Amino acid sequence: MHCRRYLDPGSTRRDFLLRAANGFGAFALAALLSDRAHGEMLGEAPSPAGASGRAGLPHHPPRARNVIFLFMDGGPSQMDTFDPKPRLTREHGKPISVKTHPTQFNNVGNVLGSPWKFRNRGASGIPVSDLFPRVGGMVDDLAIIRSMVSNFSEHTAANYFLHTGSGLQGRPSAGAWVTYGLGSESRDLPGFVVLNGGLIPPGGIDCFGSGFLPATYQGSVFRPTGAPVANISPSEPSLADQRTKLDLVRALDQGVLGRVGAHDAVEAAIANAELAFRMQTAVPDLMDIREESRSTRALYGFDDPFPPTQIFARECLLARRLIERGVRFVELLCPAVGADRWDQHGGLKVGHERNAHAVDQPIAGLLTDLKARGLLDSTLVLWAGEFGRTPMAQGTDGRDHNPYGFTVWLAGGGIKGGVIHGATDDYGYHAIENKVEIHDLHATMLHLLGVDHKRLVHRFGGRDMRLTDVHGELITPILA
Amino acid sequence: MQGERIRGRQIMASIRSRNVNEVPRFAARVIPWLGLAIAFLGGPVRGGEDMPPRNPAAVEYFEKTIRPILATRCLSCHDAARHKGGLRLDSRAGAMAGGTSGPAVVPGKPEDSLLVDAINYGETYQMPPKSKLPASEVAVLTDWVKRGAPWGHDSGPVRSAAASGDRLNAEEFQARARFWSFQPVKRVQPPVTSRDSWARNPIDRFLLHALGTRNLAPAPEADRRTLIRRVTFDLIGLPPTPEEVAAFLADTRPDAYEQLIERLLASPHFGARQARHWLDLVRYAETAGHEFDYDIADAYRYRDYVTRALNLDIPYDRFVVEHLAGDLIATPRRRQGDGANESILATGFLYLGEGTHSPVDVREEEMRKIDNQIDVISKAFLGLTLACARCHDHKFDPITTRDYYALAGFLHGTRIQHAVIDAPEARAPAIRRAGQANHAAAALALADRTLLSGSLRQKLDAIAAPAKPGSTTNPTADAVLLDDFSRPTLDGWYRNGDAFCERTTRAGDLRLDWHGDTPVLAAVLPGTVQSNLVSNRLAGVIRSATFSIRARFLHVRARGQGGRIAVVIDNFEKIRDPIYGGLTRRIQHDDWRVETFDLDMWRGETAFLELSDGAVADFGNTTAPLDDANGYLAVDWIAASDRSPVSIQADPVEPSVDLNAVAAALAPVAPDRAKRLRERLADARLADQAIQPPRFALAAADGTPADEHVHIRGSHKNLGELVPRRFLQVLGGATEPTHEGAESRLDLAMRMVDPGTNPLLARVIANRLWRHHFGEGLVATPDDFGKMGRPPSHPELLDWLASELVASGWSLKHLHRLMVASSAYRMSSALDPGAESRDPGNVLLHRMNPRRLEAEAIRDAVLAVSGRLNTRMEGPSVHTHLDAFMEGRGRPAVSGPLDGAGRRTLYLNVRRNFLNPFLLAFDMPVPFAPMGKRNRSNVPAQALALLNDPFIKEQAGIWAMRTLSAPAASDRARLDRAYETAFARLPSEAEAALALGYLDARMGSNPTQAQAAWTDLCHALLNTKEFLFVP
Repeated sequence: MHCRRYLDPGSTRRDFLLRAANGFGAFALAALLSDRAHGEMLGEAPSPAGASGRAGLPHHPPRARNVIFLFMDGGPSQMDTFDPKPRLTREHGKPISVKTHPTQFNNVGNVLGSPWKFRNRGASGIPVSDLFPRVGGMVDDLAIIRSMVSNFSEHTAANYFLHTGSGLQGRPSAGAWVTYGLGSESRDLPGFVVLNGGLIPPGGIDCFGSGFLPATYQGSVFRPTGAPVANISPSEPSLADQRTKLDLVRALDQGVLGRVGAHDAVEAAIANAELAFRMQTAVPDLMDIREESRSTRALYGFDDPFPPTQIFARECLLARRLIERGVRFVELLCPAVGADRWDQHGGLKVGHERNAHAVDQPIAGLLTDLKARGLLDSTLVLWAGEFGRTPMAQGTDGRDHNPYGFTVWLAGGGIKGGVIHGATDDYGYHAIENKVEIHDLHATMLHLLGVDHKRLVHRFGGRDMRLTDVHGELITPILA
Repeated sequence: MQGERIRGRQIMASIRSRNVNEVPRFAARVIPWLGLAIAFLGGPVRGGEDMPPRNPAAVEYFEKTIRPILATRCLSCHDAARHKGGLRLDSRAGAMAGGTSGPAVVPGKPEDSLLVDAINYGETYQMPPKSKLPASEVAVLTDWVKRGAPWGHDSGPVRSAAASGDRLNAEEFQARARFWSFQPVKRVQPPVTSRDSWARNPIDRFLLHALGTRNLAPAPEADRRTLIRRVTFDLIGLPPTPEEVAAFLADTRPDAYEQLIERLLASPHFGARQARHWLDLVRYAETAGHEFDYDIADAYRYRDYVTRALNLDIPYDRFVVEHLAGDLIATPRRRQGDGANESILATGFLYLGEGTHSPVDVREEEMRKIDNQIDVISKAFLGLTLACARCHDHKFDPITTRDYYALAGFLHGTRIQHAVIDAPEARAPAIRRAGQANHAAAALALADRTLLSGSLRQKLDAIAAPAKPGSTTNPTADAVLLDDFSRPTLDGWYRNGDAFCERTTRAGDLRLDWHGDTPVLAAVLPGTVQSNLVSNRLAGVIRSATFSIRARFLHVRARGQGGRIAVVIDNFEKIRDPIYGGLTRRIQHDDWRVETFDLDMWRGETAFLELSDGAVADFGNTTAPLDDANGYLAVDWIAASDRSPVSIQADPVEPSVDLNAVAAALAPVAPDRAKRLRERLADARLADQAIQPPRFALAAADGTPADEHVHIRGSHKNLGELVPRRFLQVLGGATEPTHEGAESRLDLAMRMVDPGTNPLLARVIANRLWRHHFGEGLVATPDDFGKMGRPPSHPELLDWLASELVASGWSLKHLHRLMVASSAYRMSSALDPGAESRDPGNVLLHRMNPRRLEAEAIRDAVLAVSGRLNTRMEGPSVHTHLDAFMEGRGRPAVSGPLDGAGRRTLYLNVRRNFLNPFLLAFDMPVPFAPMGKRNRSNVPAQALALLNDPFIKEQAGIWAMRTLSAPAASDRARLDRAYETAFARLPSEAEAALALGYLDARMGSNPTQAQAAWTDLCHALLNTKEFLFVP
């Protein structure tokens, strides 16, 4: 429930250690039961499919087949990144002249001008601050939404909302919905993979859960560095030996299913063992980046001396390798930078600089690489935090949470590059033009994947549940 | 039943003999549930979104067709938050009542309905304002009104979570306090149903009644093998042995199953199983995590306390009182056998959280710890999310920030201690005897001094002469004397252990110290505190009252060996470098010196002074052992000054003499006297050696009582009103004070367990036990009985169980017994498609829920099946086995055994930064907050662990060896035995054919391969889902 303000700074390290100890612990089974190769359907006529809520998927020809979600945990500041506000600089240090909302901490200071310069970048001339020089260089590929709003000003609820379309715990994550609807093209990797760079967000792995959807679709958390997971090496003399043993297990399990009935949990556990078997070869293959050239690695930022940049570079490279292998939905979590996640209640300058340093080059490298390989056209890239930050200072050198107006951007499959959508007021406080809801973002993401958000439903508790609940409008101006 | 209850109450009353005038009040309190069988709101069953519809077709029509239109087109202005024009369209009542212009909907009469007029852009209103609805939607809504405007699932008003943190006003508070979970527990008579013959106890009748509302029948009873495996795992967390299965099958008594339950409830493993459930609620761990993952010394004693308490079926209210105030109970419960203090162990749960070793802001660290403690207390005991109220009044529940800080005050005034738990009578005789032996030797030496001359005589004379009263030196004038121990007793100090006496030293006190083999007799400086007046082998701590740091320097005149002086700021215990190292001083000098602490950084903070001889944790290294009891600490005076270290006058001397030298000098002149002195000295030595080291336990101790201010928006730097300590207002905490003066932690505990004002305690624990036996709670959110939680699926049953618990004298075993003896529990879990469709998710429990075993039960079952299980209970944990993935700071130097020495999982060390990956994969919770509902994930890590983990492979080998070494006629007989061991059943012919076929193929004609082949087969059996699931 609490901001990291209440956690000791060293917890980031603890998170890291926990992750190290955790290893495979949070690594979930995904889209095994869904063998439909959606890739074959790209651009083809919609084909009938099995389950009720998934009938007729895709609903229309998709523009993208994969999603890479760059989750900027903590809430990056819009007025310090993609939404320049000269008024803040003019009124720096003065009391803000509009009514302010109660904030998470209610420690409202004076107007805080951005410590960073903005420059017009790319052919489109869209201004991006010096926090993101490299991503700024790719601005012609980005559709920047400056009028994003959220319903929650507290991390956990906002994280659930961004991920699941609901501020409450236990709803399916967008990645789970997508995998549920479209399946995975990979038979030996989960369909929804979360690369854990070090910071599990407030709300925990329930941000990546499958909620009332089958457990099969929950996000699988991978370590990006070192061995991704424990017990990944087969303990039998040969895989064939193991296969024989597993065949026996499978046969015995079928008998048990007959005895106790086909309970979801039991069936899923059976499928799980098969996936585990295949993962023993697939995962080491995925993680083995020796085949990536020196220049590719450099492109992503592997040579940067800042360790968090190296971690995120690896996450970005693995994201590409995952979608190449057919993994449907990849989410990247931020590395610990030694100054909190993007949640600078204080120390904005140092904190945002380190967080940006960790992700700027890796993200630019990813976009460049995807483009060079022709993958960007079929991959939707989303950069978003759970909310933005206030134009007035918290204390003297921080910014509090602001769900009333903030910036996210998209790139890739079906997205029009080099555009700005919506606007906030002069302070960057409230979205005032073309307000975009989280539900709209979800609806648009599904649309690009060939899914009508109103028709991807799952009956639960007597109701047809949707990722977008009863909301969601397409953000048509950013569609290519 | 009433008699039982009062008996329980009297037991509780006896706890607090300090507040005797309380007893009549408790005894006189009448619980209001009897005779108040009022029907519950909303019919017999309420299950979140599964509320039984009045007319399912109409509800479906509304939910599918009408609600989406209202939600998208109308509710952005006409919901609970905005209700423009006074109109709300988020409930049928709202639509009927309408707004300022009158009713919006007149059922059946679209022509009279303002809503229909408005959507047709009539004269009064044109709605929605931005654009008219599509004609199709206008038609649908008009038709809906014509049909009588049927509604669906009414959801009450829900406040927007982004709403401001407005102060919760009295009216809203009262409204929230009417929420179901805060109402008194009602004792509803179990309904009579047409299938009463099926019902074995009231649980069944409540369930049957609910099933009847959907025309469902309970599933048939499971077979006996399934039953014994199910109930054995549930109650003791282990699989039944083939012998136990055979005995149960052969037991033809009609109550064979009830007998089985009794056997299991009486097993010591019952406590080991149930304790682990409880440990989930108190974020149990044995290290503090953070950077260095320090040990939490003696944490395991808390775990063993819980196990014993559950095995002894200590009344749950008593158990809770011990948790909150076990250190304050006048007559604590004593352990059978050695008489150790049992009650105080419970308070250790407060200190099992994470801890920072060097926080920048210790006050914030204190509040973080208190927040964690409040989170645990409120969720574990009350099922309430109180931590929300740290920064703002609760968004949904009747809980205010004042409630939060009223509780925080209790914890703020509570200190951590490493309490000596030995029975006083167990230690007192040895200490008394040592004192007497010392005295006898000293008296003899002094009496015989007249036979001596020279320096020995002079020394003995000096010891015998009465010293000048009072302290011999004083700090210089610019210092303020805080305490010079010139009073006869230690008033104002908090004492723990037996090293420090209740009184200060006075003229004529003597001390016999052993310096190795040398007995040294000394005259004790009067007006001091000394921990070695009897022996260096005693341990103890004295702590000052809490004070505010105003002066820069604190001076303590002290001497000692292995003693420690610490300035404890804001209850910050982990005193160590880089920031806090200067706050602790180890005393390693036998001469009196002034130790000066520079407290400049902490001016304005509150602190206390801790003088210790053992019994404190040492955070000097990367582990945190308890200080050794050997040695001593003596303190003469304590002073504060602002400008500079004090200057010291002449050093006082405690005259002393070597009594061996005295005996040697006596020998020529009076050999008999010398011999007697030597005998007395030898006796004193033996008596000293006979003092056993004390046992310590992590526990709470009362410090200086203090109330807390409300911390505005959770910031300790922005203080609001001062809140008197009390329990939650909504649970009776703001009623008349319990007695004169401020509430103590014991008062808090008594409020907590008062069923007259707190209905949650019983409901919450009853629900937890239900969840463990049936797979899902009656309230599906066991840690949240507030508005954001789920309503109970069977409210009357929940209340019946809660009232039954209280009536039984809070016997948890009584509830366990009722649950597992019910017909409901004995149902088969087999699926029936027809029933599934009428009861999706099995909310009404028309069948049993199959369950995957918890991480601990899986590991324990592996050990039980292989035969490696070591059934030893209690004691320090087995060291963590470390694999290559477990690295980082704080990594223990030594890895523990792969199989955890065969001990049950409960006894494996729980290191926050090095949690067992096998257990984590199977959802053992990360110990950060109460976890009443573990995840039940299905992840490849589980399958990979079962396939490849060296522990599993090793156990498969042991199981194979055990299988092969047992006398058996054939492989088939061996296989039968293996199946019974693992699954409590025999293999079918098909299964036997598969398994034996595999064995044959694996072994070929080579009998030397038998062990390898059987290992593979056993490994395969461990990998079957039947091993993991209890159907």
